[in-house]
Amino acid sequence: MERTLVTWLGFSFAERQLFLIKSGIFLSVCGATLFVALASSYPAVHDTLHNVRHALAVVPCH
Amino acid sequence: MSCSLLVGVAASAEELKIYLKTTPALEFLRPFADPVTMSLLVTRADGRPLERGSVGIVLDAPKSGAFLSTDFPVVENSRLLELALPLRQGRAGWKYLFPIRGDYRLSVNVVGSDGTKTAKNFVIPVLEDRTKWLSLGLFCAALFILGFTAGRIFTAAPATMTTAWLIFSCLVTAVSGHDGPVSVENFAPPPTALEIAAATVGKPTQLRWRAPDGGAASTLLSISITHLEKHKMVFAVDNVPVDKDYLLDFQFPDGAEYRVNSIAQFPGRGPLRTEQLVAVTGVEPPMAAQVPALALFLAIIALGLGAGRFSKILAAR
Repeated sequence: MERTLVTWLGFSFAERQLFLIKSGIFLSVCGATLFVALASSYPAVHDTLHNVRHALAVVPCH
Repeated sequence: MSCSLLVGVAASAEELKIYLKTTPALEFLRPFADPVTMSLLVTRADGRPLERGSVGIVLDAPKSGAFLSTDFPVVENSRLLELALPLRQGRAGWKYLFPIRGDYRLSVNVVGSDGTKTAKNFVIPVLEDRTKWLSLGLFCAALFILGFTAGRIFTAAPATMTTAWLIFSCLVTAVSGHDGPVSVENFAPPPTALEIAAATVGKPTQLRWRAPDGGAASTLLSISITHLEKHKMVFAVDNVPVDKDYLLDFQFPDGAEYRVNSIAQFPGRGPLRTEQLVAVTGVEPPMAAQVPALALFLAIIALGLGAGRFSKILAAR
């Protein structure tokens, strides 16, 4: 997959830069997942994880 | 059953001593665990209890933390309870369930039958439940391991692993925006001896008991409030002498359903029981309270990423 991208883009990233890009995307995905799970107020998600939120002591709920 | 005793000496024309006793003891108080029996004893300087008088009680929630909030941030730094109780042989008592961790501030204002006033503030520390800290530690450890594993995969990863990661990142879609606070309609209660204002988390709600037929002297009133979902009593006063009505301000700490019971015992008559359900409107926690926790969790994942990369590089050498 990486090689395909390199062919398409016409240039390659250094390994260190690639790690940072991957980590950035990974952290974004994790942040969005954590937000939906622990901070959003969608009734289905909130009701399912209500006890988890309170069990973590530092996650606000209502 | 263990109990704690706090002593306050208030300066006044006649020196009074105010004792506060909690059962269980202060070191065993935990949020949303069991209701705490709070007992006040007011004595004269010579140790004799103040025979007559009343005591005004104001309970304020702990202040907000510097970085992380509690699980009920709307409750922090707000007024939880305000009521007046008559002193009987220098004693007054009630039951209360502390909703969050932190240092509660209890203001006690004693008014003697001769009009003398004294006041004293107590601090009631409530520690967080240890199992919650353990759960938080395990959750953080899981996040660190997640980051550590990802860090190892992202460092000079073989093509197959990279492909798996890209597929993973494409499958997981970030969802943005969220609904407004879940509001529960407050139903109009039937006309009873109890009048309860619209209840919202973060603000004290006025509860008023009114004698149905204009009142009678030496009526004894008991009020209890129960959290229906948790099946826990969150507040109770027993056998308070009232005349026509009784007023108290109570903050419902959770956006849930509560049951308020009152039993009035009139002299020479059977008890009058009243029951009312209260649907408390929850308030969505402010973003300022949510961001620190999410930032902490992301920082732990980032730490794991760095540690994973470092371990992979070390292993390759």
